Amino acid sequence: MNILNDPSMKEIVDDFCTEADNLFNQLENSLTIIEADPTNRKELEKFGQVIDRIMGAAKSIGATEIATFCELGKVIGYKSSQVKELPLIEVVTAVLFDSLHMLRKMNQSLRDGNEKCMGQLNTKAFATRLNWLSEKFKDIDRASCEIETKPTNLNQSSIDELMKTLGL
Amino acid sequence: MALKADIKILVVDDMSTMRKIIKNMLTQIGFTNITEADDGATAWPMIENAIKDGKPYEFIVSDWNMPQMSGLDLLKNIRSTPGMEKLPFLMITAEAEQGNVVIAVKAGVSNFIVKPFSAQVLKEKIDRIFNNK
Repeated sequence: MNILNDPSMKEIVDDFCTEADNLFNQLENSLTIIEADPTNRKELEKFGQVIDRIMGAAKSIGATEIATFCELGKVIGYKSSQVKELPLIEVVTAVLFDSLHMLRKMNQSLRDGNEKCMGQLNTKAFATRLNWLSEKFKDIDRASCEIETKPTNLNQSSIDELMKTLGL
Repeated sequence: MALKADIKILVVDDMSTMRKIIKNMLTQIGFTNITEADDGATAWPMIENAIKDGKPYEFIVSDWNMPQMSGLDLLKNIRSTPGMEKLPFLMITAEAEQGNVVIAVKAGVSNFIVKPFSAQVLKEKIDRIFNNK
């Protein structure tokens, strides 16, 4: 499905751009809070959750570059919320501010239907930078929503129940 | 099992873009009775009221990550309500981490679908859910 190239889906693309813009404002607010207080792990977690929502919709409409940026931003947001090195958080915040600036430009290009402008944004070089940063957190497993604050191991009865549910 | 076109469906997603895409797909598949909710917190009272009115929802399609009430919490609420233990519930995620899938399966999810997906994949998931009922 390629919604971007389907004129009948223009309304959905416009809706996406408007929603994304609103969520970019929330992301910017989170980054401003983190910049003032790099120990604020909850706000980094929140950043990960918000950018995750943009990623899902971007993938669904076929806005691949926006989705890639959001995916990297999400991983960096969630994973950095689990580290304690403040200088690293400061670097993360700066890079995420730049990413957000880039995402806004990509979103505007999408709204304008200006593919050429998207090409001029040099997103690949920036994605490389984001990839480099996400590598700094490769030893941290959780890159998605926190389900339980204290993860618990499954006991045998829970495992048996799961297997039964799975039909195994 | 052949599904009725007017089966009562609730689509739950905080992104209106996603709700429109999913609704388009469900319409394309042939469903006609589709309602939307913009968060788990909005969906839950709608589900409760539908039960009270004697016209309960028959199928829930919900996103996982939502700002107020997640799809997982909505699922847990549904499963803990008498009479709704088997309400078909399709969870949508932008990606499926193994740990999260296990937790959702334990909570009683009927199936998972990962974004982006096509109407065909959605139909296959729906067929699988209702054929296993």
